[in-house]
Amino acid sequence: MTRAAAARLGAWALVVGTLAFLYLPLVPPVLFSLRIPGESAGGGATLAAYAALWRNPILTEAMRTSALLAVLTAVVTTPIALLAAMGVRELSAPRVVLVLLLVPLFIPGVSMGLAEAFFFRLLGIAPSLVTILIVHVLWALPFAFLIILTAMAGFDIVYLEAAYVLGAGPARAFLDVELPLIRTGILGAGTFSLILSLNETVRTSLVQGPLNTVQTYIWSTYLQVGLSPELYAIMSLLIGLTLVLIFILPALARARPRPASEER
Amino acid sequence: MGTVQGGAVQVGVRRADPSRVARYGILAIPMLFVALFFIVPLALMVVGSFWERAGFWVRPAFSVRAYAEFLTGVRLFVLRRSLAVAGVATLAGLVIAYPIAYFLARHVPERTSRSMLLLFTVPFVINYVIRNFAWTYLLGRTGPVNGMLMAAGLIHRPLDWLLFSDVAVLVGLITSYMPFMVYPLWLAVAAVDRRLVEASWLLGANPRVTFLKVTLPLSMPGIFAAVIFGFVGSFGESAVPIILGGVGYQMMGNTITSTLGVLNYPLAAAMSSVVLAAMLLFLAGWYLVFDVRSFLGKLVRW
Repeated sequence: MTRAAAARLGAWALVVGTLAFLYLPLVPPVLFSLRIPGESAGGGATLAAYAALWRNPILTEAMRTSALLAVLTAVVTTPIALLAAMGVRELSAPRVVLVLLLVPLFIPGVSMGLAEAFFFRLLGIAPSLVTILIVHVLWALPFAFLIILTAMAGFDIVYLEAAYVLGAGPARAFLDVELPLIRTGILGAGTFSLILSLNETVRTSLVQGPLNTVQTYIWSTYLQVGLSPELYAIMSLLIGLTLVLIFILPALARARPRPASEER
Repeated sequence: MGTVQGGAVQVGVRRADPSRVARYGILAIPMLFVALFFIVPLALMVVGSFWERAGFWVRPAFSVRAYAEFLTGVRLFVLRRSLAVAGVATLAGLVIAYPIAYFLARHVPERTSRSMLLLFTVPFVINYVIRNFAWTYLLGRTGPVNGMLMAAGLIHRPLDWLLFSDVAVLVGLITSYMPFMVYPLWLAVAAVDRRLVEASWLLGANPRVTFLKVTLPLSMPGIFAAVIFGFVGSFGESAVPIILGGVGYQMMGNTITSTLGVLNYPLAAAMSSVVLAAMLLFLAGWYLVFDVRSFLGKLVRW
């Protein structure tokens, strides 16, 4: 084997090894959710914990809240991110705007949650679905913005100019020419926002008020009574749901019409 | 670097139609949203850190009591520990993530590297609280890590410093923040003009010198972005120390939440402002030293 081939093999080993290390923690919750209480590992499997989930009214309520929040987060975040990406392009990407849009990425969840909780309380706004939604949208926005920006970068602006030359207004040109070509990016941004909302704990827990999401339910139950097969079952469902959602993304990408100007 | 930036900034297509006002109008909604619901709350939090406690709430004042309380008590130890642990976690994350990003950007076809980046993103979006619960089992006395080490004959008794220790907290922090450090690093390495690397090679530099003198300096914006993300995230982390640090393991994040639990808003706000200040310091350095647009050059290049 040549030195270059050996180096390449070593690099792949690092990539695959790191990925294995990162994916390893997804396995135990699934195993524990199937375990029969009282029996040691490998003593058969049961779906009892999953059945128990639906008999827990607090949890089913939390599931409804989580689902609603996730959908709303995707619906609200995506247009805002699209406007931001379009604005950044129109105005030659001013640095201040970029930094402002990306800064929520760099603020720890606790600081963000605390600032929001303080803000809402000073304004006399009681914690509600809306306060949680605002926090989720803020968290998802930089990611959605980056995804749409990436999609837009693959779109050649010459098409828009062609549309203008042919007499289309800006709205018409955007809807008929650009939108179909960056559709994947927009769907990706929406899906990612949905996933982020579904998986958020710390920020939510500081503005949740009387409401529970599935994540805050897991966290507060853990703090109060510890882990149980039911908790592992709901964790497994969340892991499964997230994996299904995220692997829809590449499928969308394959269905994407190839823009004339490809990478590089 | 000038030419690279020049290429990236060739943006604003001068369209005939919309006026500048209308173009600013597009940005108004996202900007207002972020300003009102993000910048204002953060500013208020900093202001609130100088207020006084009044019963279960706060009263406007100018008092540095909260900061004094923070910097004199045991919480100073918490600050030092958070700085140290976050520093080590960030460094370790960088050491793992940079070679991966470099390899994916330079030696793998773009399609494959995008799929790999997606694979690195997945664990990041799956709730990190859930992932960290799993580590309590994996690193526990009866867990598979100890099991494998014993089966291999490397140890005779289970290692009890694997869980509820600095080691466990570091594992939790690295696995939480390292995956997303790969992305800015990949962006930065991929944005380095290949011709510069080729020029260095033609001028007789060996690969190591080329890396140290060309690729590494030019990928600094990405390194900085990754470091900010990893450091600030770890520094303010609240769930990992509770789950993996064990009873009484305090870092800035969970100290803030427990301070909120006893309704000491000014103290919580003061500690949170310190975290925020650390972040702003980093971000200001990044902003002043590098052009954000050159880092985003791969994204913003129409």
